[in-house]
Amino acid sequence: MSNPHKKEQHTGKDLPRWGMVIDLDRCVGCHTCEIACKMENDVPLGIWRSWVKEIEKGKYPNVVRSFRPTLCNHCENPACVKVCPVGAAWQREDGIVMVDPHLCVGCRYCMSACPYEVRYVHPQKGMIDKCDFCHTRVDAGLKPSCVEACPASARIFGNLNDPKSDVSKLVSTKSVTTLKPEMGTDPRVYYIGLDMATMEIKREAKLVWEK
Amino acid sequence: MGKVVFDVQYQTSLAFLISYYFYCTGLSAGSFMISTLSYGFGFTKFKPASKMGVVAAVLLLLLAPQFLLMQVGWPIKSVWNHFVYFNPVSAMSYGAFLLMLYPVNSIIYGIFMFKGNMKMTKIFGLIGIPMALAVHGYTGWILALAVARDYWNTGLMPIVFLFSAMVSGISMMILLIIIRDRFFTKEKVINHDLIDSLAKILGWLLVVDLFLVFCDYSVLLYSKLEAQEVAHFMLFGKMSFWFVILENLIGKVIPMIIVFIPGMRRSYFWLILAALMNMAGILAMRVVTVYGGQVLPLM
Repeated sequence: MSNPHKKEQHTGKDLPRWGMVIDLDRCVGCHTCEIACKMENDVPLGIWRSWVKEIEKGKYPNVVRSFRPTLCNHCENPACVKVCPVGAAWQREDGIVMVDPHLCVGCRYCMSACPYEVRYVHPQKGMIDKCDFCHTRVDAGLKPSCVEACPASARIFGNLNDPKSDVSKLVSTKSVTTLKPEMGTDPRVYYIGLDMATMEIKREAKLVWEK
Repeated sequence: MGKVVFDVQYQTSLAFLISYYFYCTGLSAGSFMISTLSYGFGFTKFKPASKMGVVAAVLLLLLAPQFLLMQVGWPIKSVWNHFVYFNPVSAMSYGAFLLMLYPVNSIIYGIFMFKGNMKMTKIFGLIGIPMALAVHGYTGWILALAVARDYWNTGLMPIVFLFSAMVSGISMMILLIIIRDRFFTKEKVINHDLIDSLAKILGWLLVVDLFLVFCDYSVLLYSKLEAQEVAHFMLFGKMSFWFVILENLIGKVIPMIIVFIPGMRRSYFWLILAALMNMAGILAMRVVTVYGGQVLPLM
């Protein structure tokens, strides 16, 4: 039996390629996107599909608080799809990286391979779950829940294949960056004004032993 | 520079059960190697270890996948889906087939060996060698192909895994042969010649293993930030007891010194101590590699 998600590579310009731009000059760090995501997707306690990392830096009076909203990057070359042993991690033709609950066995290999750590084990289902750009909303012509809820319009969602869309204009006219471009995953979530201090890891990270 | 006011707690993806799985497949591959030395390659000195080696290899490889099944969310579904939905670019996908074929081959090999059919034993032994290498090497590939983790993502990982497998397998065989000869034979005499040869092989494999660890860490310490962080975490951070003391000092350096000093090697007390320390050290190595390699947050 062949894999049901064995996809023909999408190159057609008529198909949309969904992407997101996060404008950090507008982000106020209110965490509304987190909550909207949890409500929309029924995400259990303790885990997040999208979250905002928040750091304080500098010395008084020269201080700043920086934010980095994080979600699945829906990469063009996703590491998780390559490593999944059963083909449960797959990519739609419009670029959304999905998890098929009928195939996923919860082996967690994709969690180790994802450079952005956006995947989690759903405690009730025992399967892997992650941000899917609210694909049911997108298919119905709506925007993802986090984009809809953002009070500062810091998250902009749209079709990257359409040169007239807001995301295409921002990506082509602003200086944008993606997370960890050195991983070769080619993310489709772009950041404007990302503070690289939010990407730092700490030498003495807190060790939390798994129960 | 900055302090984290709010941070998300990440889940640990692969935990201790995976370490035990790697440990068991390693012991199995190592003991299978010893058993093929006489029947496959004609080193008749090792013939008394062959039957014990193949029995240990089969039993450990039947035990090993149980840890995997305990770890995955859907054990029965996982067995079915691994065989039905094959992903050719995933190392783990090949693993399911290897874990199935290798014990079957080992059982056939063992049956021919116990029946005394030399020709067939040799054929299945030689088929089994690449399978034993693959069944343990692929576990290294699983980690090496998880690109996000710098501690794992190195071409040395499968080789490190193979050498640690052979080292721990030989230690286990030394212990098993001493126990068998001392308590379960009529003569109650330990085959000194065999044990001495195995101990010498153990010593040289430990030298290679330590050299590989040195290569790995020297590159990590000069590599990019995440790699430096994880190397510091292993050498001086919270994992240093496991890595420096348990894995390398107790598990590799002290056993190597014991087996290279002829007086100590010929004393069974020291040799048994060295084998036990080495087996514990390799278990620590599995925990360090699997757990320590992915416990630091990535961003």
